[in-house]
Amino acid sequence: MSKGLKSRKKQRLIVLSTAVAALVGAVLLVLFALGGDSLSLFLQPSSVLEKKIQAGQRFRLGGLVQDGSFKKLEDGLTYKFVVTDCAADIPVQFKGLLPDLFREGQGVVTEGALDATGTFMADTVLAKHDENYTPKGTMPKNVEACEHPEKAAGY
Amino acid sequence: MHRFANPAQFNRLADKILPWAIAITVITLVVGLYYALFASPEDYQQGSSVRMMYVHVPAAWMAMFVYGVLAVSGFVALVWKHPLALISGKAAAPIGAVFTLLALITGSLWGKPMWGTYWEWDGRMTSVLVLFFFYLGYMALWQGIEDEDKAGKATSILALVGVVNLPIIKFSVEWWNTLHQPASVMRLDGPTIHTDMLIPLLTLAVAYKAYFVVVFLWRMKLEINERKISALAQAANVKVHHYGG
Amino acid sequence: MTAAVKSTGVFWAVVRRDIKLAWSQGGTGTMALSFFLIAVSLFPFGVGPEPQMLARIAAGVIWVVALLACLLSLDRLFQADFEDGSLDDLALSPIGMMGIAAAKTLAHWISTVLPLVVMAPLLAMLMQLPNEGYLFLVVSLLIGTPALSLFGAIGAALTVSVRRGGVLMSLLVLPLYIPTLIFGVGAVDAVILSADPTPHLALLGAVTLVGIVVSPFATAAALRLSLE
Repeated sequence: MSKGLKSRKKQRLIVLSTAVAALVGAVLLVLFALGGDSLSLFLQPSSVLEKKIQAGQRFRLGGLVQDGSFKKLEDGLTYKFVVTDCAADIPVQFKGLLPDLFREGQGVVTEGALDATGTFMADTVLAKHDENYTPKGTMPKNVEACEHPEKAAGY
Repeated sequence: MHRFANPAQFNRLADKILPWAIAITVITLVVGLYYALFASPEDYQQGSSVRMMYVHVPAAWMAMFVYGVLAVSGFVALVWKHPLALISGKAAAPIGAVFTLLALITGSLWGKPMWGTYWEWDGRMTSVLVLFFFYLGYMALWQGIEDEDKAGKATSILALVGVVNLPIIKFSVEWWNTLHQPASVMRLDGPTIHTDMLIPLLTLAVAYKAYFVVVFLWRMKLEINERKISALAQAANVKVHHYGG
Repeated sequence: MTAAVKSTGVFWAVVRRDIKLAWSQGGTGTMALSFFLIAVSLFPFGVGPEPQMLARIAAGVIWVVALLACLLSLDRLFQADFEDGSLDDLALSPIGMMGIAAAKTLAHWISTVLPLVVMAPLLAMLMQLPNEGYLFLVVSLLIGTPALSLFGAIGAALTVSVRRGGVLMSLLVLPLYIPTLIFGVGAVDAVILSADPTPHLALLGAVTLVGIVVSPFATAAALRLSLE
């Protein structure tokens, strides 16, 4: 009887310590994952230049559309703009329909590859609205974003 | 007998609350909708389509709130074996599912002018969709197990497993979304919603809550009465069988 | 002391028994594996054989089909033992219902899911997965798939007394698989898109650890309920 009780206690201890160890492990893993700054599938312009990515290698480029850089070419379908993370810029060329929320000074993620001249030839452009709901006219312009690059890069 | 003593008390309490809840629902719904549709300002980027927010956002809140109700009643049902808690999950789940569906439909209608498409795998929309799947599973499990007591306990276990997992799922979906779409690159400090827009939003949130209370109490009473009837029928059957045999 | 030794013995005996059953005639092991093979090779017919297209979706397709193959094999996890009454006997064993649940889940992973992981590189080749993705495909499957067995066991236990409970089980279990799928595919995609896969793997491991904590407990509770 006492033997059975002891083994049951022991079992409970095993179960409990396994559970605690697993939970601690899970928390540590999450902290590790969120602690680094590499938790994304897209690269910002400065890390693209840093990594010296080859022309033709596909990747995702994310950042802000630089104010005043947006141009439409003569054919009316091709667009040129500059994606910046305020530390480095990469010119982007895209042919197709831009999303409604694509605006200068707003965030964008593009997918494609660099060509020989260092222009990013994108075949997909994604934009997202910025989750601020404010009446017309009360919204300050976006100049701040580039004065505080760490905020702008707050992915 | 104590099984029925408690529900009888509940019925009396419910009858007291119901008229108030109905009144609050009607008033806040009318006032809230007036503000939302006519008296509130347009958004600086979205124009009038922002009005969809007032219907959409409280529905999404309710979708989560009702899941909380399921989880709490599941916990109470398993730990204290309270008979009302076994029923309350069953009463609340379809209401939660309807709110979740409402959030999905209004979100999709809102998405059309905003994203240019009815469905976008946006982080929030996707997690609401998963929540909807959860409600479907919960209700299907209630229907799948014939024994009401067992069904109540099984769904309670499911609801509790969901409580652990839904935050993980929500986190993973939002994160997946920021990998595949840009996060909101620019965020201002302070409240991201203007006061003029907050008032109708909160009024409608109250309206939804009160509506939930009304339907929930109705469904609870219905469920209690149904059980009474089936218990009576069972007793009657036993008697008939006894005389016949 | 002898009692403790005995209970670990019981645990491994259950694991061995279930692995043997899975690979005996009519077991789930071969079934899941052939489903995995056939279902993945259907995708080129569906989306076209262009290598670029296939390479883009390879990791996602392999992960999704592995997940479905695992699901397919789960609905019999407890059902046979429940129907022939051996679950009642197992419940009385010295390791308790929680130990039985853990042992059967482990056996399911070893017998049914591990072969899928071994098979994955072959299918990755058919799907034109870029070379740098292979290693992390296997690593992500090794870290992530235990969560599939663990969360699947909860659904299997909840629906054990339901006639034709397979569909109901998928409804309960599939939402629980979403995080594993996202982080698993994320790790492979990160390598292919020249980003760092380790944070993805860390989160994948965290989900599996949460499964280890939650699953035996919930599965045992659900099984006890069905025996009431």
